[in-house]
Amino acid sequence: MSAPILKIENLQAKVADEDLQILRGVDLELNAGEIHAIMGPNGSGKSTLAKVLAGHPGYEVTGGTATFEGEDILEAEPDERSQAGIFLAFQYPVDIPGVSIANFLRTALQAHAGDEELDLFEFQDLLMEKMDLLDMDPSFAERPVNDGFSGGEKKRNEILQMACLQPKLALMDETDSGLDIDALQIVANGVNKLREDNPEMTVLLITHYQRLLNYIEPDFVHVIVQGRIVESGGPELALRLEDEGYATWQSEVTEEVG
Amino acid sequence: MSASTETTIALNEGVTEALSREAATARSAGEPEWMRERRVHAFDVYARTPMPTRRLEEWRYTDLGEKLDLASLSLGTRSEVADDPSAWPAGVRATMEEDWDAAAHVVLIDGTVVHVDLDEALAGKGVVVTSLRDAVNDEETWEDAKQYLATQAVKPERGKFAALNCALYLDGVYVYVPRGVHVDLPVRVTRWISTSAAAHFDRALILAGETSKVTYIDEVLSDDLDTHTFASNAIEVIAKDGASVQFVQMQRLGRNVFAHSQQRTLAHRDATANTLNVALGATTSRVDLNAQMLGPGSSSEMLGLYFGDGDQHFDHNTSQDHVSPHAFSDLLYKGALDGDAKAVFRGIIRVHPKAQQSDAYQTNRNLLLSETASADTLPNLEIAADDVKCSHGATVGQLDEESLFYLMSRGIPQEKAERLVVMGFLGEILLKVSLGGVIEKITREIERKLAHV
Amino acid sequence: MPQNETVQDLQLDEYKYGFVDEEQHVFRTQPGLSEEVVRQISANKDEPAWMLDFRLKALEVYESKPMPTWGGDLSTLQETLDEIYFYVRPQDKMERSWDDVPANIKETFEKLGIPEAEQKVLAGVGAQYESEMVYHSLKQEWEDKGVIFDSIEDGLKNHPELFRKYFGTVIPTADNKFSAMNSAVWSGGSFVYIPPGVELETPLQAYFRVNQERMGQFERTLIIAGEGSRAHYIEGCTAPVYSTESFHSGVIEIVVEKGAHFRYTTIQNWSNNMYNLVTQRALVHEGATMEWLDGNLGSKLTMKYPSCYLIGEGAHGNILSIAYAGDGQHQDTGGKIIHAAPNTTSSIVSKSISKGTGRSSYRGLLQVHDGARNAKSNVECDALLIDENAKTDTYPYIEIDEKTAHIGHEATVSKVGDEQLFYLMSRGMSEEEAMALIVRGFIEPIAKLLPLEYAVELNRLIELEMEGSVG
Repeated sequence: MSAPILKIENLQAKVADEDLQILRGVDLELNAGEIHAIMGPNGSGKSTLAKVLAGHPGYEVTGGTATFEGEDILEAEPDERSQAGIFLAFQYPVDIPGVSIANFLRTALQAHAGDEELDLFEFQDLLMEKMDLLDMDPSFAERPVNDGFSGGEKKRNEILQMACLQPKLALMDETDSGLDIDALQIVANGVNKLREDNPEMTVLLITHYQRLLNYIEPDFVHVIVQGRIVESGGPELALRLEDEGYATWQSEVTEEVG
Repeated sequence: MSASTETTIALNEGVTEALSREAATARSAGEPEWMRERRVHAFDVYARTPMPTRRLEEWRYTDLGEKLDLASLSLGTRSEVADDPSAWPAGVRATMEEDWDAAAHVVLIDGTVVHVDLDEALAGKGVVVTSLRDAVNDEETWEDAKQYLATQAVKPERGKFAALNCALYLDGVYVYVPRGVHVDLPVRVTRWISTSAAAHFDRALILAGETSKVTYIDEVLSDDLDTHTFASNAIEVIAKDGASVQFVQMQRLGRNVFAHSQQRTLAHRDATANTLNVALGATTSRVDLNAQMLGPGSSSEMLGLYFGDGDQHFDHNTSQDHVSPHAFSDLLYKGALDGDAKAVFRGIIRVHPKAQQSDAYQTNRNLLLSETASADTLPNLEIAADDVKCSHGATVGQLDEESLFYLMSRGIPQEKAERLVVMGFLGEILLKVSLGGVIEKITREIERKLAHV
Repeated sequence: MPQNETVQDLQLDEYKYGFVDEEQHVFRTQPGLSEEVVRQISANKDEPAWMLDFRLKALEVYESKPMPTWGGDLSTLQETLDEIYFYVRPQDKMERSWDDVPANIKETFEKLGIPEAEQKVLAGVGAQYESEMVYHSLKQEWEDKGVIFDSIEDGLKNHPELFRKYFGTVIPTADNKFSAMNSAVWSGGSFVYIPPGVELETPLQAYFRVNQERMGQFERTLIIAGEGSRAHYIEGCTAPVYSTESFHSGVIEIVVEKGAHFRYTTIQNWSNNMYNLVTQRALVHEGATMEWLDGNLGSKLTMKYPSCYLIGEGAHGNILSIAYAGDGQHQDTGGKIIHAAPNTTSSIVSKSISKGTGRSSYRGLLQVHDGARNAKSNVECDALLIDENAKTDTYPYIEIDEKTAHIGHEATVSKVGDEQLFYLMSRGMSEEEAMALIVRGFIEPIAKLLPLEYAVELNRLIELEMEGSVG
């Protein structure tokens, strides 16, 4: 096996400007092309992990390391991480009024292309191809980013961006939250299609519920409780969680802490 | 030119035989020295402050020269009515009939406190509800009164009329709730004006200790009077850390009265100071309300409702000062205008530098029911911090024809449908206030006015 | 596509119009304002006696009016006014061909891209340098259709009856202190007449340049859009950056006759030492439409409230205002709409951006007179704050005397949110690019109404101003 694409060791983080520790030493390794799911109860730190990896300014790393393709990423700006190939699908995508999706993606792709001038026709072709792949109406690209979107539209927009930016590592932060089962299927199908196109894409799914894993099958499942990964296993672990909930681990940790 | 040296010299605008420095001194008979000094100082501020004109933004739409004739007024004097309901005017008894649920009752006639009762259990917990005169004189309360009366909230420097009220107030209400005490039922105050051609001045000081809770309902009313009369009132609310104060004023004065209420709420850390101002009566009604968000986590919900008809003129001048970060204020004033009535709303949200994460909202909505009614609205914003959520809105319109048609298509006659729509429009305010007796009184009064539409 | 540009592409100076040309004039008055100065201006223009009377009366009105105490800080304006030149004549006569314009003045306008734009996209161009129009030209096809596009001085000379019928009728001398000042010392500006039914397909543009230090510019423009006509007039303004203060006070009067459609666009980019106090008003007749598109990016202090007096049934007024206040700037802008006739409609959309120590204030008046039945108006003001020292105010005056009016006003204040920035940066954009994209999105509703070239210019100017705003 070659070196892992993402390697996290003893990662600790707290809320910036506040004395609130969230991650208390996370260890995790992802190899290229794998799908990992991280599950945990509310407040366990699972979303924080995704945000810290993407460089969210609301959190401060207080210890540990995270390397992406062997390079330390914790000091990099969010745009640098994106350009390196990390993509965060937001749990709550943000409105950018007045800026169309097409314009937004063109700006992002130009930033990824660096000094090389983005060819507008190639961009149009790429956008149309990806929208077609995800069964999206072309008019969608002219709407302002997330402004007035339904929950499902926002999540589909995240998947479209992922399709266009073609990341090496996709961090999917509770992509299933706020979606009904139909919308969930559409989003999951999108992710699967992108994986068919690009089997090397590594995915870290952050989720509270097992149901998403019915549609995107993970290679590994990790349970995070109170800022630490307390158990790792195969897909069967998710099914066990569905039956038993998080109580077993929560009491363990509580005892440990108490 | 010696104009610049003369600016400190008294202009004496609005100083009359009745409203004089001597009168201010006379009012302080029997009061401690500090109160006398405060009254005299206030009078001097009054005398040297020019009479507001329409050139001032705050008086742009209310012409005092036309609406207020101070020279015609005598100074209201102590009422000799006994502390006995049978001796009270019928209007007082009628309105108090519904005021059963109360922690305390206070009755004022022409600014004189004629009755106070307070739940004994609350008195045992240290709650004080008393006449302001007694509070100023009583050794148990005068320290607080000295510290807060006209010093932080409605102090003379707030303006000419704030100064005049401080100098000449006859009496008023003092409420003190100790730290941690919750007064669950409202303190109900009924103020009656009976003497016309006079200037009446009263005020209230509401002091809510840390994490305490109190509701104060202030009802001011009179019959229709035959001559021009001035009713001035000042309300000071001080909500200390974590305290919660709800203040409600229902103004149902009769015709020929110029009603002026100056209110200021100070909300300290995590404190709530909510207000509701209902203006239904008087010929001219002016309310100046300033809400200060002084501590992080403080909040103020400011509601207003007015219904004008005949030649009534309502002027609401509100301001929301976000001095501290992480505070919240939300203002909603709604009114309907019929006949030749005119409504003025001037509101301002000021977010001071460093008051980051302020949430401040302001909305004024007007419904014009007649061809000759009018509404002027100025919702202003002054924002000097960048991380804020602020918005304001104002509308002026007539009854929505679609709504009317919908109701009429269900068989409701036009008149009735109109009333329903107006009640629905104003009802939005009432729905936000869950106070027994208050909603019914307001609803009845509006329906009575609507019946003449 | 303009949106494809990023701030990196624009390695330009903060204020690229700040260059100074060699000073050149054939005549100028003494600094300050006096009766003598007014007489000299009039004599220099060889005006009819009635105009001198008009000016002298206006001077009296100016002197009788107090300095405004509202709006921006005018406390040291009088000192500035005592020092500036109220009239500077740069050359002897106005030219109709760029080849005849003195080389250094021509070069100025070439740097500003005016002759090039004229050939490509404009129906006519007027260029003012200091106090006088130095160039005025209209394409032949429009001249053949009876369109008049001339300097205001030539308007008075060549079309005296038309001129006198309208001059000073839309904005009376005594309207405000600065309209009175302009009436006393006006010089330069355009005289425009669009005959009934004529529709100009491309815009007319006037360009205003102040080069002289301590200069006051007082252009006066009179526009008559005849019945059923249609036209678009654009003005642009720049000046060099001096440490001393300069002053600009224009008066723009527009009459929009029955059924006509007129749009007046300003892209004001004065240097940051300029006071810019302008009065602009349109009388809008039956079924006519007036649109003000007012972009204020430059100046130290601007006080400017384009107005529409909707005096004919069914008239429509539209004000789109965009303001950018950077360090030390105060943009006190907005609009006035007076509904004085039935079935009139209007809208005001204002967008402001405040950055650094900048302050933008929206000040608006919306009036519905008794009898203006079924008037409808909607006002929307949005302010964007870029950093914590920036300030924004909103002062809307709404005065309604008519039951059937339907009026709405809404305003919001927002900042560029950290969450928004992070979202864009997590897609690979730098903080600066992210900021530029958000701001462009914010002004998009207005930029999209500009002709493409101007939308590009507006975006570019704002991006220039935004440079270095993050860090």
